[in-house]
Amino acid sequence: MNQINRVKINQLASGVPGLDEILGGGFPEFSFNIIAGAPGCGKTTLAHQFVFRNATEERPALYFTVLGEPALKMLRYQQQYAFFDPAKLNTAVRFVNLSQVLIDHGLHGVLEEITRQVQATNAGIVVVDSFRTVLRREHQGDREVEVQSFVQQLALLLTSWEATTFLIGEYSVAEQANNPAFTVADGLFWLYQEVERNSVVRKLQVMKLRGQMSVPGMHTFRITSAGLQAFSRTLGLTGSKKKGPDRRRLSTGIAALDEMMNGGIPEGDSLLISGPSGAGKSLLATQFIASGLRAGEPGIVAVFEERPDEYAERASSFGLDLQTAVENGSLAIIYLRPLDLSVDEMMQELIDAVKKMGAKRLVIDSLAGFEMALAPGFRADFRESLYRMIFALTGIGITIFSTLEIEENFTKFPFSSYLISFLTDDIIRMRYVEIEGQLRKIVTIVKMRGCAHSNDIREYEITEDGIVIRERLTDYERLTTGIPTIRQEIK
Amino acid sequence: MNGIGVAAETRELAERLVMFEAVSKHALEDDADATCRVCEKLRRPLVTLTGNAGFSSLLSRALILAQREAPALGTVQVQADGSMHGLQEAGAAATQILVTYLLSLLITFIGDTLTMRLIDDIWPDLRRRTVSPLEKEAK
Repeated sequence: MNQINRVKINQLASGVPGLDEILGGGFPEFSFNIIAGAPGCGKTTLAHQFVFRNATEERPALYFTVLGEPALKMLRYQQQYAFFDPAKLNTAVRFVNLSQVLIDHGLHGVLEEITRQVQATNAGIVVVDSFRTVLRREHQGDREVEVQSFVQQLALLLTSWEATTFLIGEYSVAEQANNPAFTVADGLFWLYQEVERNSVVRKLQVMKLRGQMSVPGMHTFRITSAGLQAFSRTLGLTGSKKKGPDRRRLSTGIAALDEMMNGGIPEGDSLLISGPSGAGKSLLATQFIASGLRAGEPGIVAVFEERPDEYAERASSFGLDLQTAVENGSLAIIYLRPLDLSVDEMMQELIDAVKKMGAKRLVIDSLAGFEMALAPGFRADFRESLYRMIFALTGIGITIFSTLEIEENFTKFPFSSYLISFLTDDIIRMRYVEIEGQLRKIVTIVKMRGCAHSNDIREYEITEDGIVIRERLTDYERLTTGIPTIRQEIK
Repeated sequence: MNGIGVAAETRELAERLVMFEAVSKHALEDDADATCRVCEKLRRPLVTLTGNAGFSSLLSRALILAQREAPALGTVQVQADGSMHGLQEAGAAATQILVTYLLSLLITFIGDTLTMRLIDDIWPDLRRRTVSPLEKEAK
């Protein structure tokens, strides 16, 4: 007998978008789990999402409340979430208060009542909220053995009755060691709410999950009117980017620039356009998007520094009609609310939008704005975050056009200020040059990964029709310094 | 509900519950019996949901509010387990007002939909069974 027929552990959808990926597929059926964390971090909401996602009339969920948030208030608040289905109340989802039982009969009474209810209803899901209050009453002095015995009996009972169980408790991180409930539990999920400067970031960690591979580490999550949404820290890192040599070229919307790029931007590339303030980076990005719209390619613009209507209005001043595209659904201008974003949230929002619209082109305007939109705790990892985001987005085939403002310098010619050049396939550099008492502008293609491109440094102008690229400034040398000189032979 | 008053629909619902209880028994009983039964039927699932203490406090609040409108409820006392003393003596009209305020509090806390879910669970035939004006008059 060489082949081992391993038992198949069914996985139940968590009901929380993004969490199943973190769990390695979902919550294991019949598992005995603990959701821990400080008050207000989303434990009850997470349990409700699971309950409303999985409970049926045949295998209902029993939601036991004990000396914690009164059930009436719980119902009052939880019904505000989109996942809450009133039709399931008292049929598929039943709330039972155990406060009096605990006060009158202690742990033994609680165990008896849970047993009675589970057997009577054929419950498939059991939640005890808050489990901490059940134990706190007894968890002192020589009663510790009784507590341990209670937890083990409860786990045994609920597993035997084929119930997937969640015990919810307000625990601090310091209490992680030597807790009998944590030892018995199959799954231990910790929710955190961290405050850094003025921003609040929610994170969750799968500290323990028997029988399946979960994604380790801290994952951010957000609570909205739809409930929790989790963002795996490895979002976008799975899969690989395949880039063939004969990829289609996407027009930038400026014929001369396309020519410099040997036909345009290779589809699926990440392009960085860097330059000083006022150089026309955003305009070039807008022309890129508008060109796609003309070719029937839906696009997305992620803006951080101005609101969508302002962005569309500015485009219209150059004769680029984005508003019509927004109205007909071929263009989304996403304004990501600043200051407390996690990279994962932003990535998820963009990936969702790309998939929903079938978008081919994405503009991120600008990377500096993106960095500022992140919660302070995430800014330290900006480069790593950017890498994940670009990898994830180009991995689904979209072409990214990011703008980056860099401080103009007359001794250096930097391509970017974040040392992120390696993250991008292509770089276009714009800069100011001083010529004959005028501040003029030049553009050059610095890099196109795996592709030939023009080495020309060309002058350009911003006109009412957008960016117009002129000829090379052949009479000058040292253009990249910003202070060129007339070539000797011209003199 | 903010203490100023109770919605007409809630009064109507309380009246329907009492009528339904009275008619479904086919008994020549006083309305006070029917209203007591309504209170008791509401008590059981609400105690399951909120515990004895939760239901008692809800009922006590409803009683205080109802007493303004029905002074006869002044002698009614709420027990720790959510049962009541002196309800029978208060009379049918006063008791119905107490039911009205209890329903109104529930609606305030958990909304119309969930309150009606609870009512439907206790009186599954209520929506189907409309009490006719004649039955109402006969009572």
